[in-house]
Amino acid sequence: MAARKRATSTTDTSTAKPVPTDSKIEHKTQEFADPPLAPPKSAFIFKLSLLLLAPYFYLLFCHYKIQHELKRSILINAALSLAGFFLTVKMIPVASRYVLRRNLFGYDINKKGTPQGTIKVPESLGIVVGIVFLVLAIIFQYFNFTADSNWLVEYNAALACICFMTLLGFVDDVLDVPWRVKLLLPSIAALPLLMAYAGHTTIVIPKPLIPYVGHDVLDLGWLYKLYMGLLAVFCTNSINIHAGINGLEVGQTVVIASAILIHNIMQIGASVDPEYQQAHGFSIYLTQPLLATSMALLSYNWYPSSVFVGDTYTYFAGMTMAVVGILGHFSETLLIFFLPQVINFLLSLPQLSGYVYCPRHRLPRFDPQTGLLTGTNDGTVVNVYLRIFGRKSEKSLCAHLLLVQVELKSNASCPERQLPLSLDAAMDQLINLIFGKT
Amino acid sequence: MAARKRALAATDTSTVKSVCTDTKTDHKPQETTDSPIAPPKSASIFKLSLLLIAPYFYLLFYHYKIQHDLKISILINAVLSLAGFFLTVKMIPVASRYVLRRNLFGYDINKKGTPQGTVKVPESLGIVVGIVFLVLAILFQYFNFTADSIWLVEYNAALACICFMTLLGFVDDVLDVPWRVKLLLPSIAALPLLMAYAGHTTIIIPKPLIPYVGHEILDLGWIYKLYMGLLVVFCTNSINIHAGINGLEVGQTVVIASAILIHNIMQIGASVDPEYQQAHAFSVYLTQPLLATSMALLSFNWYPSSVFVGDTYTYFAGMTMAVVGILGHFSETLLIFFLPQVINFLLSLPQLSGYVYCPRHRLPRFDPQTGLLTGTNDGTVVNVYLRIFGRKSEKSLCIHLLLVQAIGCCFCFLLRYLLAGWYK
Repeated sequence: MAARKRATSTTDTSTAKPVPTDSKIEHKTQEFADPPLAPPKSAFIFKLSLLLLAPYFYLLFCHYKIQHELKRSILINAALSLAGFFLTVKMIPVASRYVLRRNLFGYDINKKGTPQGTIKVPESLGIVVGIVFLVLAIIFQYFNFTADSNWLVEYNAALACICFMTLLGFVDDVLDVPWRVKLLLPSIAALPLLMAYAGHTTIVIPKPLIPYVGHDVLDLGWLYKLYMGLLAVFCTNSINIHAGINGLEVGQTVVIASAILIHNIMQIGASVDPEYQQAHGFSIYLTQPLLATSMALLSYNWYPSSVFVGDTYTYFAGMTMAVVGILGHFSETLLIFFLPQVINFLLSLPQLSGYVYCPRHRLPRFDPQTGLLTGTNDGTVVNVYLRIFGRKSEKSLCAHLLLVQVELKSNASCPERQLPLSLDAAMDQLINLIFGKT
Repeated sequence: MAARKRALAATDTSTVKSVCTDTKTDHKPQETTDSPIAPPKSASIFKLSLLLIAPYFYLLFYHYKIQHDLKISILINAVLSLAGFFLTVKMIPVASRYVLRRNLFGYDINKKGTPQGTVKVPESLGIVVGIVFLVLAILFQYFNFTADSIWLVEYNAALACICFMTLLGFVDDVLDVPWRVKLLLPSIAALPLLMAYAGHTTIIIPKPLIPYVGHEILDLGWIYKLYMGLLVVFCTNSINIHAGINGLEVGQTVVIASAILIHNIMQIGASVDPEYQQAHAFSVYLTQPLLATSMALLSFNWYPSSVFVGDTYTYFAGMTMAVVGILGHFSETLLIFFLPQVINFLLSLPQLSGYVYCPRHRLPRFDPQTGLLTGTNDGTVVNVYLRIFGRKSEKSLCIHLLLVQAIGCCFCFLLRYLLAGWYK
């Protein structure tokens, strides 16, 4: 679960103590009006977008010959997403003021002992992303000229799901529901999708298994719907637990979303079946706004974080990606994109199931003197990576983890590529190139 | 706007004072760990349901001969709604604990000076109603055997609207957005509906006006969509400002929802056009859960209020009723059901527009000695009613106002009956 939970609020109901999330420490309290938010890290976002979007645009415009109508819809959606980016960048500081005023803030645990660890960092800014995304997605319906009523049902069901999940995520951020309820919430929010899903519930059996199963296509029926529900629960919660470092939640979403876009374009370009193209087009129409608004959030959330995203964001992002995976009919590919999250989930199982003692936070240990993080014995990718590759600064660690996400993705798309032998050294060089000295 | 706004929170950011809504005063704090609020007023709710639902069931089962499939769907929906009632009654105390722990509470202004005015009353319990409603509405899709793909689009668009409005309402309750933004929010939340609306954008000109207009039917096109958007903004905000007395917001919703159901059944029974029947059935499928969950909330919110509903509830309820009015194609009738709210809005205009000074709260004045409310000079139905009919206790005033609402709805039915041949 996210590292910014409010440990003190449950103990303290008689006094008027509000929402100090314990994940970040105390600063010299400032008695004047809240200081303005640090400016967004525009240069970094610009470089990152170039890196992630260049292959996408190349495939979209040059490499594949895509049907005119479809390309126009995609471009209109891209323009709307760009507008959404700027709107989100504008709204986050505004929302931060309101959020701080209502005492929805946290202290940065990974800066405890330094002056920065005493700043009140506004929480739950995922609500801005959620609302802007929903507005963009709703407005886009007007511009999609290739819509038929089946498409509209799926699209509206998708909007209802994502909206419901954002609502439940925000309720969780405000009221801090118990973790058992947290597991249940995504299944409830996924119901509109399960009800409206009118597609195949068949799976294609991998060729080597056909002799054992006896069929080459197997109709799972309600089992497939169960799988869809579980996928939604998994996507939302797995992003939530692969967290705790500045910029990790939004960063992983941005990387996976870019991969989804590239995958969609590749499938559209390589296919001639219009229904298949429509399915991947559907995924693009929801993923472009997700990517744009997430980039806007990342410009504030990247190290050092000026805002925290809250469970609102991780639930919203997880649900959106699960929805596009299901309605675009590429959920197995989506799971491969989620490989680090799957690994993190498996590593976390002993502690989550209670077999091994599970502390309130499973973050690495921060040393104020050196400014470096050291891995603890907790079962998370963050800690395991630190134990394998040694101590790192927070920024460097996040950059490494995101690159791991990218590497695994490119290997998923192009299995013939080889991982570099000296992974760590190569990563460091690449990181210096993109993120600057860390 | 609702009388339970948080005047203190905005001024006090340096200390750790959080969401103390000022609307209710202080009680001796209770440190118990079981239900933090009083038990539901089940007897009152039971009597109220009998009163409001009896005519509805009479019409549904005896008076009209309704097609079997349709009746089955309505009954399944009714059973689901009943389950939703019990679920909401169960969840409200649970949610109250969490809400109090997060300091989302208020003090009852209309009990200031009495011991009851010092109790911390949990706020924004509309979120429970919203979530249960959405779950019921989502599940019902599975049981509706008469659904086609146009129905599914409209239904999912309706769900998206109501969900979005509940989200924006809860964000408003937590973050306390400025009132200009409050006016804008419902228009944003109504967009899925406007996009998905595939029905007529024509209106039927009343017979007496045909010679002047020159047509029998006028196609308004985008103006109709603008009207739909404005209707949504109106319904949500008008419930919000006709408020401030224990039980008024939920009470008015319950009365209007019952009237909607009776109207729907009457239209289904009196018509033979299947599309027309489907439109009104659509309204029934969303209004039954609304009525059931609102009754559950009312059992806690009725005088004396154990919980407050927050803007979450008023926005959610207003949006749901606007949505059923639009998709059921009876929005003019809906406006007549909203007559007290319309009057309240007109009375409030001078103060809302700034022409006359507008205080933070426009509540009547409470006298702790007598326990009665006296009307002030503010332009609201609550105050005007008190000025005309004299001082009243809070409970008695609320009952009077709800009776006015009910009489208004009966008046609407009478009007439709009388004018049936005249203007349509």
